[in-house]
Amino acid sequence: MFPKLFGHYLFKSVFMLLVFITIVTLLAYILAPLLIPIIVSFVLFAVLEPVSGSLQRHGFPRATASLSVLLLLVIVTVLAVYLLLPQLSAQLSVLKTQVPIIWQSLSDFAQKISEQISAFLGLDIDTGKILEPVITQGNVYAKKILLQASNFLFSLSFMLVLIPIFTFFLIRDYRNMRNTLLDALPNRSFELGWLIYHRVAHQLQEYIRGIMIQSLIMTLVTSSGFYIIGLQSPVLLGIIAGVLNLIPYIGPLLAMVLPVLLALGQTPLDLWLVLYAISVLLIAQLIDNAIVVPAVIAHAVNLHPVIVIIGIIIFGNLFGFIGMILAIPTLATVNIIFRGLLQGLKTQDIFASQNAGEAAQD
Amino acid sequence: MYEKKAPLWYNFFRPAGDQVTEVTQLWMNTPLFEGISYSKCRELVKNMHPRQYQKNETIFTSGDIGTSVILIHHGSVDISAGDKLLAELQSGDFFGEVALIIDEPRTADAIAAEESELIFFLRSDLEEWIQRSPRDGAQFMLNLSRVLAARLRHTNILMSLQVG
Repeated sequence: MFPKLFGHYLFKSVFMLLVFITIVTLLAYILAPLLIPIIVSFVLFAVLEPVSGSLQRHGFPRATASLSVLLLLVIVTVLAVYLLLPQLSAQLSVLKTQVPIIWQSLSDFAQKISEQISAFLGLDIDTGKILEPVITQGNVYAKKILLQASNFLFSLSFMLVLIPIFTFFLIRDYRNMRNTLLDALPNRSFELGWLIYHRVAHQLQEYIRGIMIQSLIMTLVTSSGFYIIGLQSPVLLGIIAGVLNLIPYIGPLLAMVLPVLLALGQTPLDLWLVLYAISVLLIAQLIDNAIVVPAVIAHAVNLHPVIVIIGIIIFGNLFGFIGMILAIPTLATVNIIFRGLLQGLKTQDIFASQNAGEAAQD
Repeated sequence: MYEKKAPLWYNFFRPAGDQVTEVTQLWMNTPLFEGISYSKCRELVKNMHPRQYQKNETIFTSGDIGTSVILIHHGSVDISAGDKLLAELQSGDFFGEVALIIDEPRTADAIAAEESELIFFLRSDLEEWIQRSPRDGAQFMLNLSRVLAARLRHTNILMSLQVG
């Protein structure tokens, strides 16, 4: 019974998938300090490779095409550093000074409510006491998050050096590296390996391009919305909303937290601003779901929503924010590899048993 | 894959590989590359995948997922279905071209009759080539359909003879 089970295509597929996952996890563990620049470089590669490809189609040699794309990348990066980074840092510092004010305003708001309650119902609730530990904790957390954000901005400038280098070599050498790796497969699994690779690459490239466009549109829409309603740091908040939108279902909810808190932090308290901020995010979601998703993302990944949500929660728990963003492409990749293995090994099994049957009949 | 990792400057002065010339010549003699220029075919050959097979090594069996047409560079290959030998192919012959069009499993067995080098032209490379140079791609697809139509006609005649 056991040897038969081991020979079954389902068992073989699961075993090969587990080997693959183990190798990738080990590699990720070893490359941990460089993981983010590597992932970003792959994303940029997925976006820029078609540009280099079209240059090659117009007769440019591969080296020249990759160099031109790199030049484009460097120009965009330098512009981003000079224009965006100082502004972002400034907005972050503003936000830092804003944190205590936000909590003060929240506690004032709570005080007002408790006064109303005692005036109307005659109950005396000391909201100050109830809210005090919450506010102290909230303050500490908010400061921590902002500190992390500033650290991230710092490491971002370090990555800005690594990412263009990695991306250039990916654009120039990725094909050779890929071919060397896949050609190392044994003769019998060579074609199946290429088939699975192409399915994964195609779907990932579609997905990455889709979410990049989606994220950009979300950033533009929310930034302009926040600017129009007069919220502080509209660009920073827009970028955060755009990035958070990379996480399906949960991201849009997280994106509401900061703008709403900032709107609450206005002195004097302006509840209309809070309402406007929420409206901006809701309108952006509406545009996203009604126009962007059907046009750009639809069919990019074929995963059940429940799997998506569970995946995001588990990956978020294991690897934090980056894990939440990577959950969908990782799950999609595993899904395609498993289906490919299953398809390849199953048909082999069926034909083998048919042949065995025919041979027995003969 | 003939195009090995090379330093940047190497791309500009790449020496002509004998292997590439030989394989290009073999492909140019097949009906698949009729009407396609030598230089275009050569560019394509540089991205093809040569693989070595021992005598009696299975190349594929019926049921394997196929994704490429295969050219025999050196050696010979036996194509069979069950115990029946369908064809003995020599250097310069190609087989498995149906896999360039559909995702169906292979329908025959291919076994290396002697030590052989086979050149794999993958469907994904073909699709990329069609995107890159649609005119040549269309010519290739036309040639491929001629090859398949000829094979269909041949099978029809055989079947009608059997029925008759």
